Amino acid sequence: MTTATTTDDYLLRVEGITKKYGQNTVLKDVSFDIGKSEVVGLLGDNGAGKSTLVKIMSGVVPMTSGAYSWDGEKYDSVNRALTERLGVETIFQDSALVPGMSISRNIFMGREITNKLGFMKIKQMDEIATHILDTVVTIEGIKSSRQLVQSLSGGQAQAVAIARAVHFKRSLLILDEPTSALAVRATEALLAYLTQLKGEGVSSVLVTHNLHHAFQVCDRHIVMNHGRKILDVRREDTSVEELTAAVVEGAEGVRRFREGKPL
Amino acid sequence: MTQTSNKTQGPILAAPLETGAIANVNGAQRGGFLARIGGNLQYIRGRGALEIGIIFIALLVAFSIASLASPTTFPFLSQQNLSAVISQSVPVFGILGIAAGILMVAGEFDLSLGANVGFSAIIFIRTSEAFGWGWGILAALLTGTGIALLNGLIVVVTRIPSFIATLGMGFFWVGAAIFVNGTIAPALTEGHGTDSTLVALFAGDYGFFRSQLVWLLLIGAAAWAFLHRHRRGNHIFAVGGNQAAAKAISINPVFVKLMSFAIFGLLVGFTSILIAVQTSSVQPGTTNDFTLMAIAAAVVGGCSLNGGRGSVIGMVIGAALIEVVQDGLILAQAPGFYIQLFVGLIIVVAAIFNKLMEGKAS
Repeated sequence: MTTATTTDDYLLRVEGITKKYGQNTVLKDVSFDIGKSEVVGLLGDNGAGKSTLVKIMSGVVPMTSGAYSWDGEKYDSVNRALTERLGVETIFQDSALVPGMSISRNIFMGREITNKLGFMKIKQMDEIATHILDTVVTIEGIKSSRQLVQSLSGGQAQAVAIARAVHFKRSLLILDEPTSALAVRATEALLAYLTQLKGEGVSSVLVTHNLHHAFQVCDRHIVMNHGRKILDVRREDTSVEELTAAVVEGAEGVRRFREGKPL
Repeated sequence: MTQTSNKTQGPILAAPLETGAIANVNGAQRGGFLARIGGNLQYIRGRGALEIGIIFIALLVAFSIASLASPTTFPFLSQQNLSAVISQSVPVFGILGIAAGILMVAGEFDLSLGANVGFSAIIFIRTSEAFGWGWGILAALLTGTGIALLNGLIVVVTRIPSFIATLGMGFFWVGAAIFVNGTIAPALTEGHGTDSTLVALFAGDYGFFRSQLVWLLLIGAAAWAFLHRHRRGNHIFAVGGNQAAAKAISINPVFVKLMSFAIFGLLVGFTSILIAVQTSSVQPGTTNDFTLMAIAAAVVGGCSLNGGRGSVIGMVIGAALIEVVQDGLILAQAPGFYIQLFVGLIIVVAAIFNKLMEGKAS
């Protein structure tokens, strides 16, 4: 098992994360770093613990034990308020946006521009949203920022969610199975966005079980199996075949793959 | 339009050209006055209130023409009808529709609405009789809010569906009303629980309209400002429309749901005052029909049964539509079963229509 070299120049570092639901241990002693301006693929079969890990990283679910550090600083208790402040944004599969609300209201959801009484400045929000759609991300077929999100395709909605994260200067974007509901073209566009985000200084974690998508854009791959991290490897040190072996057969698969593979 | 149009600086994120996923479409965004009206209409339509509004206006026009043509056989526009029926029953029903509708937008139901109305009305009458109506109003508002908040707590703590939790609590409060009060209807008596000021405030007759209509307008305006213009109202849409997305963006769904239940309860408590002052007396167990009628008003007005969609104007129009249809059938001296038949049909058709809209609205 190889571990990518760690430096102190990380954005997020988790160490020894364990998560138990009652008697059931879903994460066992998981440690890794997410570097600055890095795209990391979080891979694994269903039930490997990816979703729980995402929830812990984004502060929605507390960990049973382990350490959480951000840019050199250690935090004892991690909740959504903290991760929001740090700049973590999670885009959950199919559910980053609210379908019955306009694009503009989705972009400003929870971060509304209001007067002192809490009433929203709708016009200003609409204008900024239009500006975001002009300058942050180009999305085919969007007519107005007042359009309801339910009228968008899956790819358009994902792009709006990403534009929102960029606009609010999020520093870590966690995308949970973002490509599972997308058409081929939209997937291509989404993966391209992730690469471009690096240029904006935004790190992202791509959670997927589509290895080909991950391999296309990720700088590093972390493979989970039965709640454990079994592989943490840079793109140049691995191959789709090795990742496949890791995902399908676990640590044993990696060992056999490496023994069987002539160097 | 293509990539080559009017930009000096490209977007930060652009998909690779060969995917065809990018194209600049900004030209279509800005239009003149007509485009803005079109946009607004689309927006209302997306919230499910456009079609129902058109149907309602068509119905009003039809009834008015019928009334002008034969004022004696179909006295829809008579002062008696406008004052006693339209401006008395529509507001009571409309406010309950707003209450049920806001809760539906948050993704919850409260089937104890009718029981809450009955219990709060009884508390209002008895407190007014004992201590004066000022205290009665306070007690009714607190009771209505308290009953609804308890429902909300049960729902968010135990995570059982609000449908079941409030169904059970509805039976409980019907029983509790009789337990507290007995089966004899309490009444507001002149000089004790009621006086001319109270009547003028909540059931005053001012010719073509009554106080209830003014209350509907006030509450409707406040509810609109809150639900559609305040950030907390925006959070209700967010939580009802997609709880996971709202949570991911650090909106607290528990708080939002409790807040929605509290607003619901406050409006229900207020309506119980309107009903008690209008009728002077409320028999325990007779208010249960309000529950489903209020939910029906919200559904007819375009609220989604799954939450996240609805508008205050739609809720009010939904209530008004049902009441006006009822009124028209009564004026036309249709047999009683016609009313149930028509109202039932309206509700089902509206629900089917909403379902279709959820997929297609833009």
